[in-house]
Amino acid sequence: MIYIGAEEIVSPLGQNTEENFRAISENRSGISLVALAGFGNESVHLSKINFVSEQNKFEFLLIDTLSKTISSIDSCIVSSKKTIVVISSTKGDLDRNISNPFEESIAALVKQFHLVHEPVVVSNACISGVLAINAANNFIKAGLYDHAIVLGCDLISDFVLYGFQSLFAVSQAPCTPFDANRSGVTLGEGCAAVVLSNTKEIFENTPLQFLSGTSANDANHISGPSRTGEGLYRSVKKTLEQNHLAAEEIDFISAHGTATVFNDEMESIAFDRMKMNAIPLNSLKGYFGHTLGAAGVVETAVSMQMMRSNILIKSMGYSESGTSKPLNVITENTFSELNTLLKTASGFGGCNASLVIRKL
Amino acid sequence: MSFITAYCHLNENSCSVNGKIFLQKSLESTESWFKQLYKELGVDYPKFYKMDSLAQAGFLASELIKKIIPAISDTYKDDQIALLFANKESSADTDIRFLESYEEKKTPSPSLFVYTLPNIVLGEIAIRNKWYGENMFAVLPKFAPDFFVQYGTILLSTGSKAVLAGWLGILEGRVEVFVFLVEKESSTGIPFDNENVKKYAGF
Repeated sequence: MIYIGAEEIVSPLGQNTEENFRAISENRSGISLVALAGFGNESVHLSKINFVSEQNKFEFLLIDTLSKTISSIDSCIVSSKKTIVVISSTKGDLDRNISNPFEESIAALVKQFHLVHEPVVVSNACISGVLAINAANNFIKAGLYDHAIVLGCDLISDFVLYGFQSLFAVSQAPCTPFDANRSGVTLGEGCAAVVLSNTKEIFENTPLQFLSGTSANDANHISGPSRTGEGLYRSVKKTLEQNHLAAEEIDFISAHGTATVFNDEMESIAFDRMKMNAIPLNSLKGYFGHTLGAAGVVETAVSMQMMRSNILIKSMGYSESGTSKPLNVITENTFSELNTLLKTASGFGGCNASLVIRKL
Repeated sequence: MSFITAYCHLNENSCSVNGKIFLQKSLESTESWFKQLYKELGVDYPKFYKMDSLAQAGFLASELIKKIIPAISDTYKDDQIALLFANKESSADTDIRFLESYEEKKTPSPSLFVYTLPNIVLGEIAIRNKWYGENMFAVLPKFAPDFFVQYGTILLSTGSKAVLAGWLGILEGRVEVFVFLVEKESSTGIPFDNENVKKYAGF
């Protein structure tokens, strides 16, 4: 059995998991209007970490988050030869070195924690986080490692913000996933971690069970979501089949929900094809913004907290259905026994990924 | 046991398939090296001209592999061919150009921005071939045969029947590309292990 636990989050909402989960349980968002931040000095809503210096911020967040993560597992694990660190990120620290955006930060991480193996960086657009967790599970299942620490981190940079602005994909107001009035993404930054292991005893707090996950490509368009939800449908179907799960065994879905018109519509079609319309679902982008390569890890970590507390957290920004297929978007925090989670992600390049976690 | 059944190399001025030269860059031609190669391949796929260098490199290499093993799409179901690629520079080649578009030309270019992710090449190959399989793009400090063997073997043991894998080193005119096909069941090829990946890669 593969276990997952020791979830850690650093975001504008807090410096650790507890602060972050308290904030979202109180339905507080990390998004605020940042004056003159955008291209042409446009003021833009962002979920930006202000308590960390901009200098080498990526490196700082990786080291800070990993330090906090390993304080709740057996202290020997991080520098064990049976441990791999998997990092998920789209752009790393591109302001530091655009030609090599990971090298310096990761070298510092390796040095600081005496990592035995060179970390693997998964850079697969917005599915990076979910894919990295799946890869971590695969590495352990294959017997290559006993433990894997997944660190997801991405920053807000002019580069990424101007890029999304050039695509007219940035929302004027804080993003509103799955809502009728949604009009694009709000960018966010954050760093999160989860630990996977074949040994339950390494965790200070009871871990959850990691079942497995898969990915699938839409084979449709590099920057436009599939109109049939093909890749997401295939990935979710494959993940459920691999784990001999029926759709109705899923207690809630942590969806991707970027709040662009086409992405959320695509997700609704894929979930409809899976007959998952009635399953409670949220997008956490209204709290954290879209943290890109970190999103899958941030949102998995939060979902694990939801499972531990048996609470469905409302999907921030949602008030009126805005997809052609009905979804059961969570509108109020609700106590509910949560045993099995489906986490999904989709991204540029037509990529989609999903994973399933179950309570022990 | 799985096997490397085809491979191809691409550098700044030459391209070889299974170790044999396929084409060398013509110095007389006014066209770019990748366009020369595209024309020599004789495929009709106008989207090629819209791609950035990283995607063009992956596209050309995958088409060359298909030239050796044309039956690949018929042999496997549309979700049984996984794509496993890596490099050191991520999408830096286009990142630098996108940065210039807003710093120097004062207009962030959306057509460049969509190529500022290294996995876009996987999307291009998937679209071209209608492949719906597993995808993974990793950024590694240097070419690492064991990464490909470890993760390729994982993909082949979790549902994929073939893996199109490769190293796509593309940065500011430098080209260091090695792409290979691994098949789970094959009567040809050499065993898919660290030594053979290293030997075929040649770097």
